Amino acid sequence: MSTNETPATTNVRPYILFSVAGTTYALPSDQVRHMEMVGQITAVPNAAPFIEGVAFSRGRVVPVVNLRVRFGFEREAPGIRARLLIVEMNNRQIGLLADSAREFVSIADHLIHPPNDAIRGLSGNYVSGVATMDERIILILNMTPLVDTNPDVAA
Amino acid sequence: MDQPDFIASFMGDYYAESEEHLATARQQLLLLEAAMHDDELPTAIVDELFRSFHSLKGISAMVELREAEQLAHEMESCLARIRERRSVLTPPVFETLVSATNVLEQVIVARREGAAIPSIDQPLAQFNAVCGASSRQDQPPATSTVRTHAVPLPIRVTFTPTADLVARGVKIDTIRTRLSDIGHIERVAPQVTKDGGIAFEFLVTGIPEDTLRSWRDDGVTFEVIEEGAGLRPVDMPAPSHPRPTDTTPGPANYVRVDLGRLDDLMRFVGDLVVSRARLEDTLLGVESYVPAAIWRTLEEHTESIERQLRDLREGVMRVRLVPVSEIFRRMPFVVRDLARDAGKQVRLELVGQSTEIDKFLIERMMDPVLHLVRNAVSHGIESPEERVTAGKRPDGTIRLVASTIGESVVIEVSDDGRGMDAGAIARRARDAGLDLPPGELDSQALLDVICLSGFSTRDEADRASGRGIGMSVVRDSIQELSGSLSVVTGPGAGTTFRAVLPLTLAITDALIVHVGSRTFAVPQSAVQEVAEIDCAAVRAIEHNELVVHRGMPLPVVRLARLFGIDTPERPRLHVIIVGTGLGAVGILVDRISGQREIVVKTLDDPLVNVTGISGATELGDGRLVLILDAIGLTRTLRHRSSVIRAAV
Repeated sequence: MSTNETPATTNVRPYILFSVAGTTYALPSDQVRHMEMVGQITAVPNAAPFIEGVAFSRGRVVPVVNLRVRFGFEREAPGIRARLLIVEMNNRQIGLLADSAREFVSIADHLIHPPNDAIRGLSGNYVSGVATMDERIILILNMTPLVDTNPDVAA
Repeated sequence: MDQPDFIASFMGDYYAESEEHLATARQQLLLLEAAMHDDELPTAIVDELFRSFHSLKGISAMVELREAEQLAHEMESCLARIRERRSVLTPPVFETLVSATNVLEQVIVARREGAAIPSIDQPLAQFNAVCGASSRQDQPPATSTVRTHAVPLPIRVTFTPTADLVARGVKIDTIRTRLSDIGHIERVAPQVTKDGGIAFEFLVTGIPEDTLRSWRDDGVTFEVIEEGAGLRPVDMPAPSHPRPTDTTPGPANYVRVDLGRLDDLMRFVGDLVVSRARLEDTLLGVESYVPAAIWRTLEEHTESIERQLRDLREGVMRVRLVPVSEIFRRMPFVVRDLARDAGKQVRLELVGQSTEIDKFLIERMMDPVLHLVRNAVSHGIESPEERVTAGKRPDGTIRLVASTIGESVVIEVSDDGRGMDAGAIARRARDAGLDLPPGELDSQALLDVICLSGFSTRDEADRASGRGIGMSVVRDSIQELSGSLSVVTGPGAGTTFRAVLPLTLAITDALIVHVGSRTFAVPQSAVQEVAEIDCAAVRAIEHNELVVHRGMPLPVVRLARLFGIDTPERPRLHVIIVGTGLGAVGILVDRISGQREIVVKTLDDPLVNVTGISGATELGDGRLVLILDAIGLTRTLRHRSSVIRAAV
């Protein structure tokens, strides 16, 4: 991507927006297989703290990552608006537990900037870019460290 | 598509196909060895070998595996010279073909596993040296013969303990001893009866029905497992006269299927099993609203769905089954090489080669069986002189027997060699500082001792059998497959190792256990026994806990503690006993609520790769329940358990 291109010719990609502890995050929609209401999640003993447990998703057993805990917030019982985003990566299917999931949006590449020092907190380690749309700040997530087995990625 | 991708898409087919050609080549090489002392050149065999290596050369060239291509080329041209009588098939030539076949296989395996490709210089140099030599010597005949044997029908014996029986002194132990005194216990599994009690199911052989009938008053019932459902000893024609057309599988009506697709199919069937269970649960809830006549029809329908589902499941499972000969056919090679190196004479008998077993299990049983066979050659069978002195034939016999018993497959490796001296092994173990219970070692304790890491009855480790680390690996791998290993041996009387494995792993019977508010499933194949204990009977020894069970200290672990689960103290707990003899460990749970058929879903994502959890299942109500890996959970403790016992 170069800066002297006009917006009309830059790539526009679809993203899925969801919120965790009041912040809006986005994942490229081609990484998300589908979204689900939160059903029963079975806790897995001795798994990492950010693992909510395992759940059935369309006949498969998937591990569920609690994004609140992953980003360093307090664990909360999933509310009625909570959603499970089933993401797929390297033949793995993983559920991401978000407080709510809102919509699809298309974001042009040139609107996404690398994260700067203003992005603080644990989630900063998982953010690959920041987009500003209609006065809204959207943090674009990088999935690889998110589903890594390390408890958290040191900055 | 660029070149590497293009090749990558072929590699799966290449490995499968090269495996087939190598298997054919191995078979033909054995026949060739047998035919070497004949006056006539066994043209048919040479032709068949030529074709195998020719194909291997061709497909290796296609995937650009140059080392394999070059080796196959040398072998092909060597065989061509023999066929055209430009070269004579001498023992050194034959040996070169055998070792080149082994290297060829290593090359292909290395490529598949992304390892460094082994050097092919040595076999190439050998070909240079020997192909063209021209003297023919006598060679002993092939060491492999195949026979068929009848095996007795197994009997399913059920013992249901009651308070009355206990008062009369008839306990599970009594029955176990009675059975093992007369016959052979293949398998024991605790069962939860309909009224919530506990019964024990033994699968036995060699016990007369009249004897069993006479124990009816002692809570014993039995049924003979009929042919078909039961043992299937299978005949294998003896290839005493090499007729390649008989021994190589023809291009029959076979379809090569990717195992992953079969896994998918099994998963769909598993989903169906769960849906049906849900349907039945829901139906039970509406029974009172439905007119009786309609209700009966509904019931009939769900029952026939259940039956059909069982058939479907069995059908899919059967597709995954492959003959155990996939393991066995390698063994004549191994035995031949080892016997020659050790200066021993060994006959190999293969029984029940067409016994079928899940493809997944075949792949994982290869190494354990290989190890047992190596042990039999290098430790079991004596030298010809020693055998003659002991009044035996100079050539020893190793038997590989496979059979199906109910839902289990039995693989036996036995030899008629020197056997093991339990007394000598016990002495050695005690000298080495191991704490053993006083008195004679029973066969289970003997197995425990020989499976201890680093324990070997031989002072010098030889290349074939390693340093005694092997047996523990053998037993662990069998246990990981929900199987069990036992041994029967005596000084001078040979040794028999017996592995009992489930036919398939995808659907299995499990005990449902509870700790606090959590529920877990424990595959029954891992469970030796279940019991109820008084909490006050649990004694703490340093950091470990144990109970006295059947007069023996039994180390126990609390599942609640291992898994950090909150649960109120209870006066009584259920204990699940895993492992036997010195390796037995009890897992304490709040209660066992029943037994069910579960559909195993693996849990292999690194995020939830936790010791003691092997998978997950659904119990029909939509709830996901974790499956305990009871063996893995207790592994560390089992390795320490003799030390804990000694501390009592």
